[in-house]
Amino acid sequence: MDSLTWFISGPLLYIAVITFVVVTGKKILYFSSMPRHLRWDLYPVPHQGPEGSKYQKVDFSKLKPQVHLMHELWEMGQEILFIKRAFKNNPKIWKSSFPLHAGIYLCAVWMALVICGAIVELAGIPVYKTSPSTLAVVLYYATILCGVAGAVTGLAGTIGLLWMRYFDEGMRDMADFITYVNLYLMLLVFGSALLAWWNVDPGYNWIRSHTMSLVTLKPVAPDLLIAMEIFWFSVFLLYLPFSRMLHFVAKYYFYHDIMWDDESMKPGSKLEQDVIASLHYKLNWNAPHITSDAAWVDQIPADRKEEDKK
Amino acid sequence: MKKILIKDFGSDDEVLSPLNPEDLLPIPGENLEDIKFKKIKPETLAKYDFSLDGFSALSLPIPQTKEEEEAIVNSFLKGLEKLFVKENNWGFLQPSVLSTEYCMQCNTCNEACPIYVESGRKDIYRPNFRPEVLRRIYKRYFSTSGKLLGKWVGADLELNWRVVYHLAELVYRCTICRRCASVCPIGVDNALLSRELRKIFSQEMGIAPENVHRSGSMQHLRVGSSTGMNPVAFKDSIEFIEDIIEEKIGRRITIPVDKEGADILLIHNAGEYVSWPENPAAFAILFEAAGLNWTLSSDSMGYEGVNYGVWYDDVQFARVALGQIKAAKKLGVKKIVVGECGHATKALVSIADRLAVGDLAIPREGCLPLLESIVTSGKIKFDPSRNNFPVTLHDPCNMVRLMGIISPQRNILKHIMAPGMFREMPNCGVDNYCCGGGSGFAVMNTQNFPNWRDNLASRHKARQVLEAFKDCLDPSIPKYYCAPCSNCKGAARDSLIEHFGFREKYNIIYAGLVELMVNAMVDIPEPFISWEEEF
Ligand code: SF4
Ligand code: SF4
Repeated sequence: MDSLTWFISGPLLYIAVITFVVVTGKKILYFSSMPRHLRWDLYPVPHQGPEGSKYQKVDFSKLKPQVHLMHELWEMGQEILFIKRAFKNNPKIWKSSFPLHAGIYLCAVWMALVICGAIVELAGIPVYKTSPSTLAVVLYYATILCGVAGAVTGLAGTIGLLWMRYFDEGMRDMADFITYVNLYLMLLVFGSALLAWWNVDPGYNWIRSHTMSLVTLKPVAPDLLIAMEIFWFSVFLLYLPFSRMLHFVAKYYFYHDIMWDDESMKPGSKLEQDVIASLHYKLNWNAPHITSDAAWVDQIPADRKEEDKK
Repeated sequence: MKKILIKDFGSDDEVLSPLNPEDLLPIPGENLEDIKFKKIKPETLAKYDFSLDGFSALSLPIPQTKEEEEAIVNSFLKGLEKLFVKENNWGFLQPSVLSTEYCMQCNTCNEACPIYVESGRKDIYRPNFRPEVLRRIYKRYFSTSGKLLGKWVGADLELNWRVVYHLAELVYRCTICRRCASVCPIGVDNALLSRELRKIFSQEMGIAPENVHRSGSMQHLRVGSSTGMNPVAFKDSIEFIEDIIEEKIGRRITIPVDKEGADILLIHNAGEYVSWPENPAAFAILFEAAGLNWTLSSDSMGYEGVNYGVWYDDVQFARVALGQIKAAKKLGVKKIVVGECGHATKALVSIADRLAVGDLAIPREGCLPLLESIVTSGKIKFDPSRNNFPVTLHDPCNMVRLMGIISPQRNILKHIMAPGMFREMPNCGVDNYCCGGGSGFAVMNTQNFPNWRDNLASRHKARQVLEAFKDCLDPSIPKYYCAPCSNCKGAARDSLIEHFGFREKYNIIYAGLVELMVNAMVDIPEPFISWEEEF
């Protein structure tokens, strides 16, 4: 048993973290290296600031690009932290979706605090309620607060969404099998975390000391419930970059590279070079009105002769 | 109501999800029992496919042999594969991949869609329904996991010719208004995917609505306009417009055509010359009075502003857009201004921006800011008391949600309307609803599709208009629905006026913004808008 819990809590977790980082990195590279697409903006575009779209101005092409970073950050902040669009347009789902996402954020903070705690302990300062260092005491309680609050809200949100998937007709009809797989996986991740905390690790001391062993690359075999918690977290990490739950990465591209991409064509720009390169791709669409196996530039008929116009 | 699940999309029911008049949400004063859809002749039903919802936008011939059925499926699969290849779809690859992969099926987009809601919430009209069909087919046929695990990874839709035909029709039940995209928490764009699917049908399978493709963009490229107007007929129509101007304002204006080196090349949707000549006439009056150095072009690609490619086909889109830009280059004008047409403005000013490389990067803009500058410059005197009747403003999706042009038209109205006469519709600005004529619907007139469009696609607009005028519906009060877009006017004519009978019942007329501007001009002796003649 010990060797199984050791494998789960050591090598499997390492593999999961590395897979997550590598595959997510590859996806990011893939999305970033796609050809520049044609304009497909959706308004309002927050970085255009209070004056709004440049298209509202005469001779707008002579104006400088509008960059109101604070407006963009404010809009992004509301969307990332509070899922503003769901709050505004679908309060019913927001009531579950927001706790689920807040739970994930809190758990991410909790993980960071656990790693910090492990490093502090490695530096010889105990992270405990009676620690001589006030900072370590704060760290101790903050870890408990974030961990418990994250798992509880995450679990509540997941249960809420599952409930909707079973009892809301429209949500049920549009769901596929994977929708349920994703939600049950979240249920296991949050549920196992709560179970381990409640039964064996109320102060997160176990997980902290296990993290110390991971940081020093000498993983040990933890308690079975903690191994279970780590197991489901590892499965989640292994699966995440291949699933639609990676939408938190995709969302960046949706917003910045599509809806809010208002870069105008300027002669001599990198954008222009990219588009010229794309125009030389050979297409092979088959409809009769298209010249297949010819480049995009060659689809544009040359200026018609005078006699054709008559 | 019959429930339709994605996995049932290829079922061989006579009609998968019939739309019946009693399913629709009635607008105030409407009796759904009065709605009669056009009866389809048995021989037509035997020949063409009406099996999605009882309507046909595409006149798809029913396959007669197994080979024909297979050919439909294979051709669709080939096209689907090409959609995700950069050489074939570089212009929209990133948005397509992201929208295909990352929908969470939260249904937030559903209530934003006027077609879904007004249909009585029929499953097939959910904005995320057709993309989900696409996803499940793609997974089933192009992903290893889908091929091996089928429904366990969400690949539970087997492809047959009915799925392809249903999908082909279904992508022409979305106006690509992108209202759904604007509410999606992730940023998924179901409208984009409607268009991407239309591209498979057009670019690979040669399937597109007759009025949009063959007598639309193909005719445009062949003779100079989707209306069929060639350069000679265009010049004739200019003379006709000069006559209208003379009749209306008591003096003749010579409309500049092919004036080399002008500051502005004005391109109208050529439908204006045919259906609403007062609109180009009003532009000419305003531009002349403001002393602008402008011209029209009689080049075969210079007088038609539409670009139907923007609705269904990237190759056609590029051909038209670059043709228009080259026509402007030939004249040596300083910039192109697009008249009152939403899709034409978005196509040429925004989307085509990334095709205008090298010396094709000539400035292009919509007409509303220029019209606003005419009003605020003081070059023309306006008397707002001349527009002393209730007016509401339609926001064309293409100009507003897709380009952010919101304040110029409102600022103009502020200057030319009698106090208290302008009223916003509910859900104005970027939150607007489509007129029902978007993405080609306004020109699609084959089979019984107009029934579907006028009854369903424009229904929410009808509701909004009634709401905006609810305090003055009495027909003794003339009212004006201002739609600064040719397609939106087409939808208003066919649906609000002819189908819903707003002119007769409530004395509501429709027209553009420039007509209202000229109507308020102090220098014009008689009202430009005549309530008797209009429409
Ligand atoms: S498109 Fe967006 S809003 Fe609609 S179901 Fe998908 S994720 Fe939800
Ligand atoms: S683009 Fe408009 S019509 Fe199409 S699904 Fe979205 S909201 Fe509905």
